[in-house]
Amino acid sequence: METLIKVLDMCKIYNPGENEVRALDHVSLEINRGEFVAIIGHSGSGKSTLMNMLGCLDVPTSGSYYLNGKDVSMMKDNQLSEIRNQEIGFIFQGFNLIANLNAIENVELPLIYRGIGKRERHRLAEEALKKVGLEKRMGHRPSEMSGGQQQRAAIARAIAAEPPVILADEPTGNLDSASTQEIMEILKGLHRAGRSVILITHDNEIAAQAKRVVRILDGRIVEDYYNSE
Amino acid sequence: MGNMMEYIKMAFKNITANKGRSFLTMLGIIIGIASVIMVMSVGDGTANAMNSEVADLGTGQINVYCSDDSINAEAWITPEDLQAVRERIEGVDGATPNDGSSGSTVTGKGEFAVQLSGGTEDIQKSMNYNMKRGAYFTGADVEEGNRVCVITDNDAKRLFGSDDVVGMDIEVTINNITGSYRIVGVNQQKENSGFVSYTYEGMPVALEVPYTSFESFGWESDSFYSAVVFANDKASGEEVARDIIHLLETRHQCAGEDYYQIQSFQDMVAELNGMLAIVTTFISCVAAISLIVGGIGVMNIMLVSVTERTREIGIRKSLGAKTSSILMQFLAEAAILTIVGGIIGILLGLLGAAGACSLMSASMGSTIHPGIKASTILGATLFSCGIGVFFGIYPARKAAKLSPIEALRRN
Ligand SMILES: Nc1ncnc2c1ncn2[C@@H]1O[C@H](COP(=O)(O)OP(=O)(O)OP(=O)(O)O)[C@@H](O)[C@H]1O
Ligand SMILES: [Mg+2]
Repeated sequence: METLIKVLDMCKIYNPGENEVRALDHVSLEINRGEFVAIIGHSGSGKSTLMNMLGCLDVPTSGSYYLNGKDVSMMKDNQLSEIRNQEIGFIFQGFNLIANLNAIENVELPLIYRGIGKRERHRLAEEALKKVGLEKRMGHRPSEMSGGQQQRAAIARAIAAEPPVILADEPTGNLDSASTQEIMEILKGLHRAGRSVILITHDNEIAAQAKRVVRILDGRIVEDYYNSE
Repeated sequence: MGNMMEYIKMAFKNITANKGRSFLTMLGIIIGIASVIMVMSVGDGTANAMNSEVADLGTGQINVYCSDDSINAEAWITPEDLQAVRERIEGVDGATPNDGSSGSTVTGKGEFAVQLSGGTEDIQKSMNYNMKRGAYFTGADVEEGNRVCVITDNDAKRLFGSDDVVGMDIEVTINNITGSYRIVGVNQQKENSGFVSYTYEGMPVALEVPYTSFESFGWESDSFYSAVVFANDKASGEEVARDIIHLLETRHQCAGEDYYQIQSFQDMVAELNGMLAIVTTFISCVAAISLIVGGIGVMNIMLVSVTERTREIGIRKSLGAKTSSILMQFLAEAAILTIVGGIIGILLGLLGAAGACSLMSASMGSTIHPGIKASTILGATLFSCGIGVFFGIYPARKAAKLSPIEALRRN
């Protein structure tokens, strides 16, 4: 299996000095292409911090990070933007759709930043929305959709540009159990279609639906196992 | 950068999503640009109207006079000097001494003060002369010192109740000596206009007479304190003036003594225009200050917008927007606000200028058309665009520099 993510001895310290918080404490982790990994831990354990690192939203205080063969830990802002655009699709707990854009315009955003022309962009966005079953909601604004639909639009946005990594931070945290299962089925489908999915959750039941579980506690990886089928 | 169109679209989308606020933001720019355009157009229009009226006074007219230093009559201008000017200087159409005298006359209509302008037949070149009756006095009249005169139709009516006066005599008393001037021509009195007054109430009766005619009143007529030279249209007033001084200085052997001074009509018009330009510029500057205030308004709203949209900025960054992309999006927004504001302002300014000019025309009795220069409009557009970019940079940079996680954390 080809290594997609390789984290070596990564630390993240917030507010270095007096009130310093060691959010990640010498974390090392390898994830292969095509894996479906759940990162699980209590609130405050450092899950989102790890996701920010993996998602190139932030840089570690020390340690190194190779994403898809590229050393990301020393990159500057603009390079990180480019990596995020090309390598990563984000799914957030709060959906994070832009309120005054409709579903398809939201899905087109990463494609705009990738510099894809209007027509091709529209086609890709439409395709992605179809995959999440939102072909009837393309012209709807976020305020005109249910939470589950909004999260599906966000998933469409994450997959439209076909990035190698899907990073989902508590994607079902704001949803009821029916919508939660819907979203989980979509994520499993993405995994089956060959994508690498990293799912952050504090819920054991959700983690149980992934192939591999990485448990984090106080910024350290304390457990790393594969679920039996 | 290749995505500029996309950023402009995003900016438009956001501007139209907040129509009321966008309009209020533009209002400062609209008012500023409109007032600058209005002031400049009215100023230019006034200058144009003034220049075209003043041009009637004779732009080729050059006044030559002796400075106070040349009290010694040696330096005074002689008829021979003027003859030389006329013959030797290129571009000169005519020259006349500028002699004058005042006196009075009594007619059946009462007693009138009389102002006599003594010169040669060249005086008729001074203004666009419009002889109504008779003809101007001639070179022969000047040579012989004949007491002939040209009067305006208005003055003729004042004196005699009619302008059909050619051939009549006017008894003029100068220095207690009374002599009669025969009227040979009647010219048309020009009407006062908004900027130039030819007549006023209680004005003396004006007669144009050969300067040589003063001799019979005991006046010397062989040297003068001042003279008027008429340059033709093609001649450069400055060059002619220089030549005149040079010629006079040579003839009177007083080179370098600054005895002679020149004032051309062009100088006076230029001076007048300069003053008007200063006034226009000053008012425009005041109006431009309101533009800067408008720009600060744009900056203020953009800052509010950045704060409100922090999360949106975070989302965009997480999706791969670069610092420059966010910068461009917000700059485009500021620029569009000010450019659209600028265009509305230009239109309102032109409308306002047209209104102001027609009001002024009505009250002044001249026709003033707003002077709309392409450079003014282009300047205003560029200026408003510049304001947008200048005042947009700070908020846009603030937005662009947000770190994605900080931005995403905020609600
Ligand atoms: N910007 C920051 N500045 C300072 N401390 C921070 C910052 N972000 C996170 N932390 C701290 O780092 C630790 C890990 O936070 P993190 O957000 O990664 O937790 P989490 O596992 O995602 O929790 P939750 O399940 O509640 O989302 C916490 O103690 C938190 O207080
Ligand atoms: Mg978290």
